[in-house]
Amino acid sequence: MEVSGLGPGLTAIGAGLAVGLAAIGTGLAQARIGSAGAGVIAEKPEALGTIILLVAIPETMVILGFAVAAMVLLLGG
Amino acid sequence: MNVEMLPLQLVGLKENLHAAIRTLRDVGCVQIDDLAEAPEVAARPLSLDRKTLRAQEELGVLVARIEGLLEMLGHTDKDSAHPVAAQPCEAPTAAACLEEARQGLEALLPRVQELTARRDRLQAELSSLPRYETTLRKLLPMIPPGAYDPENVTVGLLVSRTHVGVLDSIGRRIMDLTAGRAEVVASDVDAVTRAMLVVFPAAYTADTESILGQEDVSRLRLPARLGEGPPDVVLEKLHRRMSAIPGELQEIEQALSILAADWIQRLLTWRAVLREEIDSNSVLSRFGETDSTFVLVGWVPKEAFAEVEAALRDEVGEELFIQPLPLTPELKDRAPVCLKNPRPARPFESLVSLLALPRYGHTDPTQLMAFFLPIFFGMILGDVGYGALLLILALFLIRKFDRGVARDVAVVLAMGSGWAIVFGFLYGELFGTLGEEIGMHALWFDRASAEHVSSLLIMSLVVGAVHITLGLLIGIWEAARDRSRSHLLERGGMLLGLISLFLIVAVAVEYLPQGFMTPAIAGMILGIILLGSSLGWLGLVMGPIEFIGLIGNVLSYLRIAAIGLASVYLAKVANDLAGMAGSLLVGIILATLIHALNLVLAAFSPTIHSLRLHYVEFFRKFYEGGGRAYEPFRSTIR
Repeated sequence: MEVSGLGPGLTAIGAGLAVGLAAIGTGLAQARIGSAGAGVIAEKPEALGTIILLVAIPETMVILGFAVAAMVLLLGG
Repeated sequence: MNVEMLPLQLVGLKENLHAAIRTLRDVGCVQIDDLAEAPEVAARPLSLDRKTLRAQEELGVLVARIEGLLEMLGHTDKDSAHPVAAQPCEAPTAAACLEEARQGLEALLPRVQELTARRDRLQAELSSLPRYETTLRKLLPMIPPGAYDPENVTVGLLVSRTHVGVLDSIGRRIMDLTAGRAEVVASDVDAVTRAMLVVFPAAYTADTESILGQEDVSRLRLPARLGEGPPDVVLEKLHRRMSAIPGELQEIEQALSILAADWIQRLLTWRAVLREEIDSNSVLSRFGETDSTFVLVGWVPKEAFAEVEAALRDEVGEELFIQPLPLTPELKDRAPVCLKNPRPARPFESLVSLLALPRYGHTDPTQLMAFFLPIFFGMILGDVGYGALLLILALFLIRKFDRGVARDVAVVLAMGSGWAIVFGFLYGELFGTLGEEIGMHALWFDRASAEHVSSLLIMSLVVGAVHITLGLLIGIWEAARDRSRSHLLERGGMLLGLISLFLIVAVAVEYLPQGFMTPAIAGMILGIILLGSSLGWLGLVMGPIEFIGLIGNVLSYLRIAAIGLASVYLAKVANDLAGMAGSLLVGIILATLIHALNLVLAAFSPTIHSLRLHYVEFFRKFYEGGGRAYEPFRSTIR
C-alpha cells in the first residue's frame, strides 16, 4: 500500500478532527453557560447583553479549530 | 457621542415649588437626583405636607378606578399603541382636569357597574341552567298526574342511592300526614343519585316542609325566575329562558360598546394626566428644604442649561437661584449618560446599551458600530438574493414599527442587507451558486471556489487586524486622557506587539525584506514586556498569555469567512439537490425549503456573530461600561 495514497484522506480526517473536536468543546461550554444564562435572564432581563457575550466567548475555540483545519487543508494538503 | 452634562443646583421659595416643578416637567431635560445622594448640598429632605399626601392618595384612588373602568369596558393597553392620552384634556389645568375626571367617574361608574353586574348574573345563569335541565329531564318519566292540579304543590328531592331508606321514610310520613292524599314517586336519576317527586295538597305545605327540614336530603331548588310546577312545565320555561339570555347579553355588550366608544379616550386622557400629577408629587421626595426654601440637585445637558434657566425665570420669576455645580471627580462618577448620535446611527444605541451604557466621559462606540456592524453582516452573508429578501423583510418591519427596539433591529437588518447585496455582487452569489448558473460573475472573488478560500481567510484576518488595531488606538487615547498608566502600558504593549507580529508575518510571506525580521521580533518582545508590566509581577506569566489571547482575538474574525462559507455551501446543497431531484416541482420544493432554512439562519447568524465581534473583540480594547441612564423629568403626554 502506498503511503502517498493515504495522504489526502488523512489530511481531510485531520481537518475534520480539528473542527469537530473544537466544536464539541464549544458545545459543552456553551451548554453550561447557556443554561445558567437562561436562568439569569429570567431573573434579570437587563443582563441579556452580558449573557450573549458570555455564551459567545467559547465560540473562539471552534473558530480556532476552523483556522487549524484551513491550515491543514491549504498548507498540508 | 456621550453628551456633556452639567450638574446643577436649584433653590427657590417654597411658594414657587409647584410652579418650578411644572416648568421643569414642561422643559423636560432636567434629571432630578435624590438629594440624599448629594452630600455637598446642605439641606434636609423635603417633607410632604398633609394636603399633598391626601391629594396623592386621592389621585391614586382615581387612577385605580379609571383602570378598573377601562378593564370593565374591555380596553387593555395593548389596544392602543401609545398607552398615554392621544388627545389633550379639555380642561385647561390639571386641577380642572382632576375635577372633570371626578365628575365623569361619578356619572360613568354606576352605569358600567350595573351593566357588568347584570352581565355576570346572566352568564352565571346561562352556565347553571343546563345542569337543571339534566335533572329535570330525568324526572319527566315519573311525573304523577296530581302534579298538574293547581291545588297541589310539587316538591323534588335528591338523595344518594346509598341512603334510599331516607326517601322511603319521608314518603311514609307524608302519606300519613296527608291521610293518603299525597302522591310519592321515586326513581334513580344516575349512578349515585335517586330522585323523588312528592305531590301534596297546598294545605299541608307547612307540615311537609317541617318533615323535609328534619331529614338530610337535598331539595331540587330551581331559580325563582322559573317558578314552580311540574318538571315538564318548568323545563319548558327553562328552555325559553336559555334562548332569551344570549339576546340580553348581546344588548348589554352593545350598551358597553357604546359607553366604551364615548368614554375610553376621555378615561385614557384622565389617567395620563392623573399619573403625571402622581409622578410630579413623587419627585418631591427627591427634593431638599430649608425653613422657607426648596432645594433640588440634578443634571442637564450643557447645551440645554440656558434654555432651562430662561424657562424658570419666565415662569417662576427672579426669586430663584439656579447655578451649575463644579464637576468634581465624585460628581463625574454619578453623571448620567445621554447618547446623541446622527440619525442613521441611532438604532445602534440599543445594541450598545444591550451590553451596557458607556460610562460618562468615555467613548460612545455607537457610530463605530453603525459603520462596522452592517459591513461585517454583509461580508458574512454576501448574497444578492438573500440580501434582497432580508431587505424587503426589514423595510416591512420598519413600516410596521414606528419606534422601539423592534424598529432599531429592523433598521440594522436593512443596513446589513444592503451590504449583503453589495458583497453578493463582489462574491458573485445569488442564492448561493444559482447566480453562476445564470451567468453572474464575481466582481472580486468567488469565495466558494477552492482556489479563493485563502483570499477569503486573509480578508477576514485583515479586517480583524484593522478592527482590533482601531480598538487599541481608541483605548490608548482613552488611557492617555484618563492618565491611566496601567491601561496605557497594557494597550500600548498590545498594539506594539500586534504591529510587530504583522511585520513578522509580512517578512515570513516575503512581502517585506528579511531585514525587518529582527526589529519586528524585538518589537514584539518589547510589546509583551510592556503588556506584562501593566499587570505587576503576575505579568511575567500573564503577559505572554494575554498576547496569545490578543492573537486569538484577531483569529476570531475568521468567523466572517467560516459562517459565510457555511451559508454558501448550504445554498449550494439546495441548488444541487434541486438539480438531482428528477422532477421540476420536487426540485423547486426542495430548493425552497432549504433556502428558507438558510434565509432564517442568514438573518440571525451574521447578526449574532457581528455583535460578538464587537462586544468581545472590539469593545474590550477600550470600552468602559456601567453608565447610569439619563432619565429626565418630563411629561409623558404627547
